[in-house]
Amino acid sequence: MNCSRVREIIFLYADNELGEELLVSVQEHVVVCPQCARRIDYTRRLLTVVRKGCTGTRAPESLRKRILNSLRHPEVEWEG
Amino acid sequence: MPFVDGLYNTAYRMTRNAQDAEDLVQETYLKAYRYYDKFEEGTNFKAWLFKILKNTFINNYRKKQQAPPQSDFAEIEDAFESRLSSDVSGQMKSPEEEILENVLDEDVQRALDDLPPDYRMAVLLADLEGFSYKEIADILELPLGTVMSRLYRGRKLLESAMLTYAKEHGYLRSGEPSKMRSSQLREGSKEQK
Repeated sequence: MNCSRVREIIFLYADNELGEELLVSVQEHVVVCPQCARRIDYTRRLLTVVRKGCTGTRAPESLRKRILNSLRHPEVEWEG
Repeated sequence: MPFVDGLYNTAYRMTRNAQDAEDLVQETYLKAYRYYDKFEEGTNFKAWLFKILKNTFINNYRKKQQAPPQSDFAEIEDAFESRLSSDVSGQMKSPEEEILENVLDEDVQRALDDLPPDYRMAVLLADLEGFSYKEIADILELPLGTVMSRLYRGRKLLESAMLTYAKEHGYLRSGEPSKMRSSQLREGSKEQK
């Protein structure tokens, strides 16, 4: 494992999508490479910022009512 | 109503319009109701709903022949690609870590809105909805490698745009008088005294 390979697969690592062999290789590399450790920490924070920045939009109550109504009379909505 | 907030959130981020997002979510539920017999029991219901949402978005988009606000997909992607290649080739610098601290929610939303739709959808499914790569591949009906590539590129583009927006308001905060509000100017002048 080297730094450029870590950069390539950094999101897979942060997303827990790496297979066992690669996961262990990254973990071993990070122990001896503070730059990559820092990069991984930054990537995790980046993903947290993204998640936080775009969650929280709730479906409006009017939409819930509209869906329930349309499911009660699906044939009307479907034709309309 | 299962997953309605997640569906609406994704629909809103894809259409960038509350009314279109509501229509899209309503149509998704109607289709799910109508085609429920096609759903295989024991498989992932949430992923199935999101696949319907994605297909409905694509169909409606093509039907209406809506162009994205700025220009066509290829142009947007080209512009982003050149930005990406200049931004991600270098080593990680500590200023980026500092700027990340200043990123506001609206920077994230604005950066997401800027993303080409294909990348935006992949990022939303991973980062908002927490789908695994395999689930995203299933929803988008794409090979796993394409999902990985879209996520990588999409997130790097997002990062680049977010940091740019954060830098912009950071710059304003640090004080360019001509762009500051008069109230900020008054406060600033008080502090200096």
